[in-house]
Amino acid sequence: MNGWLTFLVYACIPAGIIALVILGVYGKSLLRQPSRYRPGRPWTYEPAWYVPHPDAIVHQSGLPSGSTTAVGGASGEW
Amino acid sequence: MSGDVAKVSGSGNGTVQYGPGTKSFDQAFNANQLTRMDEALTLSSRETGLVFSVYVGELHAPTRAHAEALFERLTDDAVLLAISPGQRTLHIVTGPESSKRLPNRACALAALAMRAAFANGDLTGGIVTGLRMLADSAGRI
Repeated sequence: MNGWLTFLVYACIPAGIIALVILGVYGKSLLRQPSRYRPGRPWTYEPAWYVPHPDAIVHQSGLPSGSTTAVGGASGEW
Repeated sequence: MSGDVAKVSGSGNGTVQYGPGTKSFDQAFNANQLTRMDEALTLSSRETGLVFSVYVGELHAPTRAHAEALFERLTDDAVLLAISPGQRTLHIVTGPESSKRLPNRACALAALAMRAAFANGDLTGGIVTGLRMLADSAGRI
């Protein structure tokens, strides 16, 4: 009986407090999915292309004639 | 606001598909992020009269040539933001009409702001910032 009480006081209560602290620190990020992109990590998702309306794309692939040529722009790496 | 943005699936080499994309891509952005991108894309296109489009995915090397090849399928007044998070590369491509309103200097400034956001891991924020800056530079119709 005395041994059980010692175990409860000196092991279970500290363990409980530690568990509470861990939950307080990491609990929110465990529940909520974090931002998926991390610089340097590979991007495994399928390519996607967003256009404001479907008519924006005029030339289907494989049609060299009448295609719009790129004039300017900018590039960058991070 | 949402709903009029079309998504083109595929890498740009195959056939163009409209409508709801595959599930594997939708996991890359959550609903909130997609709404923010949708709003920025629609508003910037509507305000400026230019056609802004955003490509997120792998670009074949040389990446600039791939981005320009993708641009060939758009109209003269289009602006393409091609972003490859895996290769940590972004390209802004303007056409014959859109380059008159968006000089290379304005594109470089937007690219700089986008790079800063991407380096912090904020993909959606970078895209939205880039679209807003380009739309501000181009001005209203």
